[in-house]
Amino acid sequence: MNDISQNIKKVLVVFLICFMGVMSYIAYFQVLKADEIVESPYNKRLQAKRNAILRGTIYDRNMKALTKSKKINTLNQERSYVAGEVFAHALGYINPKYGMTGIEKQYDSILIGSDTMDIGKFLNSITEKEDKVGYSLRTSLDYNIQMKAFEMLGNNKGSVVALNPQSGEILAMVSKPSFDPNNLEKNWQNINSNKDIPLYNRAILGLYPPGSTFKIVTAVSALENINGVTSRTFDDEGVLVFNQKETLKNFNGAVYGNIDLKKAFYKSSNVVFGTLGMELGNAALKETSEKFYFNKELENTDFTSKISRFPTLNKSEKGNMAQCGIGQGQVLASPLEMAMVVAAIANDGHMMKPYLVKDVLNEKGDSIKKTKTQELNQVTTAENAKLIKEYMALTVSEGTGGNAALNSVSVCGKTGTADTGKPNEAPHSWFVGFAPKENPQIAIAVIVENGGVGGGIAAEISREVIREALKK
Amino acid sequence: MNSKDYEKKLLIYTYIFCVVCFGNLSFLGWPKESIDTTAAIMGLIVCGLIAYGHFIIRKFFPDGDKYIQIFACILTVIGIVMLYRIDSTSALKQVIWFTIGIVSFILIVVILPDLKRFARYKYFYLICTIILMALGTLLGQEKHGSKNWIYLGGFGFQPSEFGKLFLVAYLASALKKYEHYKDLIEPAIVVMISLGFMVLQKDLGSALIFFGISVTMLYIATSKLKYVITCFVLFAAGSFVSFQLFNHLRVRVAIWKDVWAYANNEGYQVVQSMIAIASGGLFGTGLGQGHPEWVPVNSTDFIFASISEEMGGLMGFAIIIMYFLLFYRCMRAAVYAGDRFSALLAVGYSSMIATQVLVIVGGVINLIPLTGITLPLISYGGSSMITTFFALGVLQKISEEVIRRE
Repeated sequence: MNDISQNIKKVLVVFLICFMGVMSYIAYFQVLKADEIVESPYNKRLQAKRNAILRGTIYDRNMKALTKSKKINTLNQERSYVAGEVFAHALGYINPKYGMTGIEKQYDSILIGSDTMDIGKFLNSITEKEDKVGYSLRTSLDYNIQMKAFEMLGNNKGSVVALNPQSGEILAMVSKPSFDPNNLEKNWQNINSNKDIPLYNRAILGLYPPGSTFKIVTAVSALENINGVTSRTFDDEGVLVFNQKETLKNFNGAVYGNIDLKKAFYKSSNVVFGTLGMELGNAALKETSEKFYFNKELENTDFTSKISRFPTLNKSEKGNMAQCGIGQGQVLASPLEMAMVVAAIANDGHMMKPYLVKDVLNEKGDSIKKTKTQELNQVTTAENAKLIKEYMALTVSEGTGGNAALNSVSVCGKTGTADTGKPNEAPHSWFVGFAPKENPQIAIAVIVENGGVGGGIAAEISREVIREALKK
Repeated sequence: MNSKDYEKKLLIYTYIFCVVCFGNLSFLGWPKESIDTTAAIMGLIVCGLIAYGHFIIRKFFPDGDKYIQIFACILTVIGIVMLYRIDSTSALKQVIWFTIGIVSFILIVVILPDLKRFARYKYFYLICTIILMALGTLLGQEKHGSKNWIYLGGFGFQPSEFGKLFLVAYLASALKKYEHYKDLIEPAIVVMISLGFMVLQKDLGSALIFFGISVTMLYIATSKLKYVITCFVLFAAGSFVSFQLFNHLRVRVAIWKDVWAYANNEGYQVVQSMIAIASGGLFGTGLGQGHPEWVPVNSTDFIFASISEEMGGLMGFAIIIMYFLLFYRCMRAAVYAGDRFSALLAVGYSSMIATQVLVIVGGVINLIPLTGITLPLISYGGSSMITTFFALGVLQKISEEVIRRE
């Protein structure tokens, strides 16, 4: 029997070691491995946690709801987009399978309410009987302007960006073709295989040659760098010859004869602005364009845009300098960039930082955080801006932009007919403008891919969008 | 302080623990839902059961071990609380199993005559062991990947659970007269047959437990390390052959080696279990705050993961310590047992509980390959509850003989 007691003690020790081993492993597991394991994609708790709070609503500037959220179960809530494809690019989407884009992505932590957590709110949440709701957003977008822009673009590919030139608020941001963010699962295959890339937000990511709309920048540069340019007379014989091979012609081969800068602007003379491009040289024009935020990143915005580009050229590349002067060659701009250019002119040379979200709202709809308007840059003097304004008013009243004219207000603008660089392809149709001339309320940039002359479809779209925006 | 005071104190803490746990359960939905009275009533019933069982045993058999019953009750309460949080109906059934368990515990202590007299039914145990082990293979239905459940008139149970009770009884009666290695041949064959059936039923957990029990009992009976080593060598050889023969064994090992590679299919259970334990951390999310619904088989095999998530890793430690204390009290009974049969029986049943705990806790944290078995007393299930309380009843009986003899 003594034997047995001795053996039992030994067995006890062996088991004790085993138990301690298991406990040590659990301790090791909790301390060193747990954090990593919790982050595993197989952990449904992370999703459940964000789902515990009903996602906040996104409103337009007049508090019209653009999204709706509904809880389905612990793991999922359904997000529906009231205006479907109209706001698809501006708002983005959230989808359990395809992730997040746009405002939904940028403001995710605010929409799910995890961004700030004060103690009062925490105490409330314990006794609260209803589902917790995240913060809501009031955007600067105007439902009516956006709808009108979307409608006017029709089945064309292209984009419309409308800004409030005095604040930088984005009033409309349309990109076509669009997609329906409500039925992504069903349509994903189609959306993704479409060669026109509907998911792509052309308004901020599409880079196009700006064509003649860029003459605004060239004109500003000329006013700043060439003394007496306003009183000069240019001889436009319809063609500008650099060397044996390269020439630059006016649109449709027009010949304007002896003209001043003003007329060259509203008639959109390529010869005059090509000459100015060469005369200014690459460095001066580049400097001016960079004041207008070419080659510069927009920082801390609530969207991610592509940088518009102005090239650096050698002294010998005269032809390319002339091309730059008329917004061709290697000059590339996004619709947002051109809207900012024209908004800066409208706002007496003050370029405002564009933004999409005006306010963060709590459950009661009170604003808890306002976006401050911010000036990015003074692009030119108020006098120069005023002069360009006059030129732009003339463009609509006398020049190429006649299609944008409204009876009630004076619209200022500039057309652009941008060569795509590909033969047998119609040029892109551009129009940039603002209205009313005194105290501008809206600045707009419209591009219709392969839409023909700028004075055509783009000007018409601009006119209708401006009419909608100024409707009382 | 004498031991009676310790006992009283422990008992009071047990009641407090019950009140706190069931109180917590009844307030889980509040204030969104009204207070859950079922939980409160269940708490009272459980406290009553513990008090009643303790009263009977202490009143009429004051000489036995004072702690076995209390430890067992605490562990059962933890299980019922967790089960109630997962699914209140299964908790209700578990309370019934707990009642049956306590009653059989008392009955064994009250009715069973001196255990020495049971030493002679060796061949009866042998036959029962073999029949129960074979039953699953012959009539079993597959559940959770193991073919160890049989159904009689809509009522399912695991024959191997009862089989282990007889296996221990058989081994105790066979090994008590050990003198020569020839005496070991017959028990060795019985154990091998049992292990073979378990492997065929894909019930690797039970196989591991049988092995643990057998080796422990063998060492206690013979005091020879060389037999133990021989056993391990044979076990290794058997494992190797089985590994070559059976795909399910290879899958288990593959999962254990790289569980994340199988996270979406065969390793899903273990991965979710590990995530649950990790999410709980040391202090847990709190009852009702975690997600045991995402842990598969959460009421039986993986209940330790659910407990760790909601009550925390510290509760996990507490449970393991509690099992060791229970094991210690049971082995203590063996030390003072009057005869070799009782001593071996005690060792067998103690190690049965201990190995079961080690195998399943090790499995759910992927320390060893996962083998689906229950966590004694805590997991949901009648077979497991009754066999464990039966074993504990026998141990209580043995512990009582100790004192009486002195």
